[in-house]
Amino acid sequence: MIERSLAAFFQEGLSIHIGTRNERLEPNGAKAIAAIVDDDGVHMDVYVPKVAAARLLPDLEANGQAAVVLCRPTDDRACQVKGVFAGVRPARASERAEVVRQSTQYRDYLERIGIPREATGSLVIWPALVVRLKTTAVFDQTPGPKAGRQMS
Amino acid sequence: MTAVTLESLAPCFQGLYPAQLFTCSSDGVPNVAFLSHVEYVDGTHVALSFQFFSKSRSNIEENPRALVVLMDPETHQGWHLRLKYVRSETDGPLFDRMSLRIETIASYCGLKGIFRLRAADVYEVLSIAPTPEIPASAHAVSRRPATCDPVFTMQAMQDLSARIQKADTLEALVDAILEGIDVSFGFGHSMILLPSDEEGVLVVVATRGYPENGVGAEVRFGEGIGGAVAEARQPVRVSGLMRGVLYAFAMHRESLQPGVTPPRLRIPLPSLEAPESLLGVPLLVRGELVGVLCLESDVPYRFHEEDKTSLELLGSYLAIAIQNMQWRERQADAAVDAATPVEAAAGATTPGPATRAGEPAPLAGRHEVLYYQTDECLFVDGEYLIRGLPAKILWKLLCASRDAGRSEFTNRELRLDKSLNLPAWKDNLESRLLLLRRRLEQKCPTIRITPRARGRFALDVCREVALTALP
Repeated sequence: MIERSLAAFFQEGLSIHIGTRNERLEPNGAKAIAAIVDDDGVHMDVYVPKVAAARLLPDLEANGQAAVVLCRPTDDRACQVKGVFAGVRPARASERAEVVRQSTQYRDYLERIGIPREATGSLVIWPALVVRLKTTAVFDQTPGPKAGRQMS
Repeated sequence: MTAVTLESLAPCFQGLYPAQLFTCSSDGVPNVAFLSHVEYVDGTHVALSFQFFSKSRSNIEENPRALVVLMDPETHQGWHLRLKYVRSETDGPLFDRMSLRIETIASYCGLKGIFRLRAADVYEVLSIAPTPEIPASAHAVSRRPATCDPVFTMQAMQDLSARIQKADTLEALVDAILEGIDVSFGFGHSMILLPSDEEGVLVVVATRGYPENGVGAEVRFGEGIGGAVAEARQPVRVSGLMRGVLYAFAMHRESLQPGVTPPRLRIPLPSLEAPESLLGVPLLVRGELVGVLCLESDVPYRFHEEDKTSLELLGSYLAIAIQNMQWRERQADAAVDAATPVEAAAGATTPGPATRAGEPAPLAGRHEVLYYQTDECLFVDGEYLIRGLPAKILWKLLCASRDAGRSEFTNRELRLDKSLNLPAWKDNLESRLLLLRRRLEQKCPTIRITPRARGRFALDVCREVALTALP
């Protein structure tokens, strides 16, 4: 269960990465661009550029296992969400504004820590697919000895 | 298309942008973690730092396959490295290099001792592929030079050498080194630290490029980049310092371990407001640490691996030059003093500045000088000036000026003064006098130490001084 305050953090505009694995337990991964937590606190939509989603979908459809890490670059506050695949669909045009907002915030954070906007200007954000996950656990992943503590 | 090699991804290994590590447990649950740094090992291997018993580490023990995503700070292209865990190293050059980097960043933040590298985990790189969602920036690609700008050219080396050859005192030498490194190599922010009279402590004797010159600032071995270099006697290069510092502070907030003390810096170490790149090299002569040279830049990837190698090589030459100058000044002092009886030199009473004929009257006002004998620490007008041997020397000189009206002194009489307790061999007196002179110039210009001739100097006191010794 993702509490509202934590959901708000996830939707701030963070550095997001989604990990999967294939049947040989070889990990796969991609950079995601936005996340939206459902009001139920259980389901989460992860927006993944279409060019990257193609790499992950065979894994998700075959075994359903996924992990998403969300990190704020300015202070390295981070969480990891474990979940199972609950579906995929193309992102709608009406969702693009939110994707752009989160991506812009993420780039703002990077700029604050010295990564120029030009360095992130080429990141692909559209078209995107929405990977829907049913979350099963959330872990604190801020660097340090407490990383790995289960939050929910 | 030419195959991408690990060597061609060298900029990715500077730690400028965080990397991501994807692993999977034996029961099939994937995991994603951020990495502060991926270390290049050789053409087919990289190393990841193992600092905490994380989920990633436990996954790797169960399943050696991993994926790392890196970003090239120059082209901004993302890269996928498919890895297979090979071994963990807990000592040796690779471990030392990675540990030193972690320690340097931690100590730079005043957090030394919090972070410990447990192992350098070595992975074989099975494949390298570009990530389509993180494509290269066309602007950056067109801007990327084919090779690094040549910095350590023969002409630049000759120029530096010529500057060094002209220096005839330790003071002129350290200034010439920093000036040459700026003018010839383009590294504008630098400092030289020499061992203090206190074991395990370095003191800044020369800086260039900083508004506050910071001479007299002390660092303990292990503190900051200078202290880390001195402790390890190895060069240290850090790029993307801000990323590392943020990571370190994030870990610190989570750690909250007691017993962490900030570095003991009574004089602030000069530093850029937001340094991004650091490079420090030890100045060694046959294994003896003569000093440390530190460079700083606000550009994230200013110092390349080639710079580190070149500067390390140059450091040997600079170390010999400094040591040779210290030895030369000692010999010259002895030669001068041999011609002047100690008693005559020590007893020579030149009228003080206030009474010297033809000189202006002393300035109005009075300096309050406090000397704390136990701490060997000297304050002028309530402000810390210096401590240790330079403080003892200044106290002795000021007392001699007050009690005997003396203003001329010799290095030799200081060497023979048992109260100063200088070591018989390698006393580094010239370094102490240089430090004292520069601190006075900076903080109390109305008291000056002026070289008169080889092995002789004058104490010029242009304002009345009240001396108070405290326990």
